[in-house]
Amino acid sequence: MDPIVFLVATFLITCLAIGLVVHLVNDGESWSRTPSVSWREAHERAETLLKEMLTAEEYVQLGERGYLDVPSPSEPRWTYRVPHKAGRVSIVQDGVEIESLCVSPAESLPPGDVVLVHKLMIEGDEQEYLRRANRYRLRVPARFLRTGA
Amino acid sequence: MAVMQVLSKLGDTRYEWDVAGVTGGDPAAVAAVREAERIFAQHRARGATAFKVWPGRPAERLDRFDPQAEHVLLVPRIAGG
Repeated sequence: MDPIVFLVATFLITCLAIGLVVHLVNDGESWSRTPSVSWREAHERAETLLKEMLTAEEYVQLGERGYLDVPSPSEPRWTYRVPHKAGRVSIVQDGVEIESLCVSPAESLPPGDVVLVHKLMIEGDEQEYLRRANRYRLRVPARFLRTGA
Repeated sequence: MAVMQVLSKLGDTRYEWDVAGVTGGDPAAVAAVREAERIFAQHRARGATAFKVWPGRPAERLDRFDPQAEHVLLVPRIAGG
């Protein structure tokens, strides 16, 4: 094969391969539609949205305690404790942690958005949230839990 | 003005449309809401979940695009770790 033809063909194949990788990394969005946003900007935007979506009390709790309590829509004695930073979500009953949930967005998100995803899923689609989670029941002595509703 | 926000690694991306304009047949508003509907379907097909949200009220899952919804959030699918 002519060396020049070989070089041109190699160059074109390399460009196509790079384009394909970039396209896949961008979840199928074309280049022009993907805004250039740094991680810091994404983080700040997520915090702004989280602040908008929480009540003032919830946002203060998250800042002071490092977690957000989300009441269960279906089980009145349960509260989901969602950490602001990475970590498992806890189910708290009568002030005692009874389960630990390992579940997170499949896509990498800024921390503020991760908290929001947990809150929305718990409030709006709790059964699917629990179905997706890996659940770890904790051994809690019966004396720590009230019986009945 | 209605807002749809899509959460991703970039933070959130906002799509807005004028509900009154859509009702009144304004071409720009109709085009905007069609684009929002296309993006909604695209993300739902990838496993995203949509919620109607209001300040101070629990979120409500949204299974179909609602052009009248004032505020919608689309979140990526979740998975057990």
